[in-house]
Amino acid sequence: MGRRDRPLVAVLLCATLAALAVAATMSNLSVQLPSALWLEAAFRPDIGDMRQVLVHYAFLPRLAVSLLCGAALGLAGAVLQQVLRNPLASPETVGVSAGAYLALALATLAAPALLAFGREWVALAGAFVALAAVLALSWHKNLSPLSVVLAGLVVSLYAGAIGAALVLLNHEWLAGLFIWGAGSLGQQDWVTTLWLLPRLGIAALAIGLMTRPLTLLGLEDEGARSLGVPLGIYRFAGLGMAVALIAVVVAAVGVIGFVGLAAAALARIGGGRRFGQRLILAPLLGAALLWAADQAVQLATGPQGDLLPTGAITALLGAPLLLWLLPRLSLGGELPLLAAERLPRTGRPGILLAVIGLALLLLLAFALLCGPGPDGWSFAFGDQLQPLLSWRWPRVLAALSAGAMLALAGMMMQRLTGNPMASPEVLGISAGAALGMMVAMFSVAGAGRPLQTAAAAAGAFAALLTVLAIGRRAAYAPERLLLAGVALTALFDALILVLTATGDPRAMLLLNWLTGSTYGVDPGSAVLTVSIALCLLLAAPLFIRWLDLLPLGTPALRSLGVDVAGTRLLVLLMVAVLTAASTLIVGPLTFIGLMAPHLARRLGLARALPQAIGAVLAGALIMVGADWIGRTAIFPRQIPAGLVATLIGGPVLMWLLRRR
Amino acid sequence: MTEVGTGVRQRCRMTRRAALGLFALPFASVRPVSAATKPPRIACLDDGLAETLLLLGVKPVAIADRKVWEDWVVEPALPPEVADIGTLLEPNLEFLEQLKPDLILSIPYLDGIKPLLERVAPVTTIGIYIENGQPYRNAVEATRKLAGLVGREAEGEALIEATETSLAKVRRELAPFAARPLYVVSFMDPRNVRVYGRMSMFQDVFDRIGIRNAWTAATNYWGFSTVGIDSLATADDARLAYLEPLPAGAGGTLTESPVWSAMPFVRDRSIMRLPPVLMFGALPSAARFARVLAETMTAHG
Repeated sequence: MGRRDRPLVAVLLCATLAALAVAATMSNLSVQLPSALWLEAAFRPDIGDMRQVLVHYAFLPRLAVSLLCGAALGLAGAVLQQVLRNPLASPETVGVSAGAYLALALATLAAPALLAFGREWVALAGAFVALAAVLALSWHKNLSPLSVVLAGLVVSLYAGAIGAALVLLNHEWLAGLFIWGAGSLGQQDWVTTLWLLPRLGIAALAIGLMTRPLTLLGLEDEGARSLGVPLGIYRFAGLGMAVALIAVVVAAVGVIGFVGLAAAALARIGGGRRFGQRLILAPLLGAALLWAADQAVQLATGPQGDLLPTGAITALLGAPLLLWLLPRLSLGGELPLLAAERLPRTGRPGILLAVIGLALLLLLAFALLCGPGPDGWSFAFGDQLQPLLSWRWPRVLAALSAGAMLALAGMMMQRLTGNPMASPEVLGISAGAALGMMVAMFSVAGAGRPLQTAAAAAGAFAALLTVLAIGRRAAYAPERLLLAGVALTALFDALILVLTATGDPRAMLLLNWLTGSTYGVDPGSAVLTVSIALCLLLAAPLFIRWLDLLPLGTPALRSLGVDVAGTRLLVLLMVAVLTAASTLIVGPLTFIGLMAPHLARRLGLARALPQAIGAVLAGALIMVGADWIGRTAIFPRQIPAGLVATLIGGPVLMWLLRRR
Repeated sequence: MTEVGTGVRQRCRMTRRAALGLFALPFASVRPVSAATKPPRIACLDDGLAETLLLLGVKPVAIADRKVWEDWVVEPALPPEVADIGTLLEPNLEFLEQLKPDLILSIPYLDGIKPLLERVAPVTTIGIYIENGQPYRNAVEATRKLAGLVGREAEGEALIEATETSLAKVRRELAPFAARPLYVVSFMDPRNVRVYGRMSMFQDVFDRIGIRNAWTAATNYWGFSTVGIDSLATADDARLAYLEPLPAGAGGTLTESPVWSAMPFVRDRSIMRLPPVLMFGALPSAARFARVLAETMTAHG
């Protein structure tokens, strides 16, 4: 073993983090208790002295939990990266944390009895369902790093949308769920620590025993198979143990954002070339990271400060980290996919499009005329219709335009990136719009809708500039752009978590918009949205030739004499404007951009022009339908249209992308 | 001698006012309503304004979210004919329009949807929880404004008087308890609470009934702060009152935590459970808070 094999940087980093953490810990502790009493408080606390009780039963267990959870997440990250052969795999990026969280939230609300049976089992079930979904979604891309991470993000977003639905419908009862979900490490006894120890210990031991076979998994399949290792079993066992670690952590303290990714990636970049080294370095780095982060949070809030969930704070730091990591990891190129797919092709796209168009018209009429009222369901005609229509048409038209624009944006993104999981939601523009709206809402008291809209547009534009600035260095390579978008989206999610955990009522307003409600659309903004949509849709034919060519891949494009970077930039700009305009109406989470193009493709619309028209019609159809269901299903309450579209869209998407 | 005299007089007046104000609701239904004084049809989106209306003897035609009322406001009971028009954030506009209200009462929190509401009926926005952070004073103003809107100025003044008087009565009842500060919290989960302080209605009631709030640290715009239970350990002699409803699971685990059991207020059993009181209410909620607090504290001893 030569000098080059020693992961000096990682060790140094770990030592630095630990030193910082020790300093912060000392500082926090001395605020609570004079140093002369520290030893006594740690081992023989005087129960009569509240300060000693707090140190013994709150401060120290919190410290222990932060170390344990950080180490567990780091270990899980390292194993996931090894097993999936993906330098970006982590508890957050493969959707496992989100799945575990959602399962626990659902159980809390719907079946508390399940929790008595064991939180970890509920979390584990959710984590596995999420992982299975992610793997299924990225299977036909051979689990390539980027497709796994994109699928993971989509699954996380999906779980987040369902979580938002729960909150919107029961908000007063879920405040506690926010605090836990956002990763609050606060402790008031040693129960959680003692609960975590054996569970994490068993999983870590199992991983330790599998070190050798797991190391071999890093080799190419053929190489490992020739050594006589039953790969499948170890791959599955390694995955299972990593997921178990994550599920236990989520069950105990909620979602701790990005510690797993950071620890595993730093272990790798810091010089941990061999898996065995990373297996030790990653947990150490994870523990040091979370320890330092948690002490820093306590330092910032002080002993009586408002609750600031550590998990959400680490997620805030995670996004810039991800951006920094991107150029430093080799991810391998993505193969163009859409052109190679064997999908049905219709010979007569015209008839098919006419049928979808007709269906859209019928649905429009239905959505405008039919609905429940105080006296039950009715079709409104004549005099009755007039007042109802004035409420219904702006919402229906806005939903229609937004659905159409998102579908077109998604179709362009998928052709641009050659990735079936690409959609405007993951480009970060929606998150930027939401961020802008958040700033307006919290910095200006009583910000009206016009101001909020302007702020959202500014946010979308700022996010676009950020993403483009990142992409410029890589000649707008789609993979980099998508990951930059992922990072921005994660940053935004973290902010939302922090806000909701403090119980600020304005967070509810934001959440309502986030989940895509067309409630606030008035005739003016409806007409504006329709006009924007029309302009953009009419500009779309200019892009059609490029969209037909883009899936062929960069070399083919160059040989055809296409200015690759320039084309990508123009397509991206178009996508950004489409996304920003529609996000303002239906919020950032709809999955229309993901779903509609696949639907059109599945129906046999292969070339760019018919696919674009088909996707636009399908997107409009789904969105109008979702808005109608949202307005009527639990009358007089309403479910945001974007949320309905998401709930319908998830299963539909799984079906569309199922392995062929 | 004079002091006792005023006390008695005050008590007498209080009873009369209380009958007018706090018990206006049962009488409102028997009172003959002539066409000329018929109160306007009001859709009221805020529960604090709605409870005030009810005590003025005016039934709103609709409120947002009856479930919230049943869980948090409790009294005055909501008459069954008051329609539920959906959530606070998105009251159903089609439904609202078909109820043909003359007036919609809203709060600054809902300014985002005001243009929409204005298409149904004129909107009057009354803020109780606003920048100045004096909800009680704002609630008095809101009561006057509401009374003016429905032409029941006398009832409005009576309600204000009755509330003042009942707070004064509570102040006398709680005088023996005034020495020790009190925390008022809602449990979010077994480890975390929302503790009410400056800018909250509970703080304003405290100031009027002579109770010292144990939570003196910062609060947010709405007058509360979300903190871990261990943050409540600073005051040695504090009592703690926690409000129902409790989130699922917070009851059982509380007693098990060593930090909880070491808390000064747990150790000397100065911990009280209060029935639900709307934390973002108006005068009726303020009076209810004072009353349930007085009942609980005197019973607790």
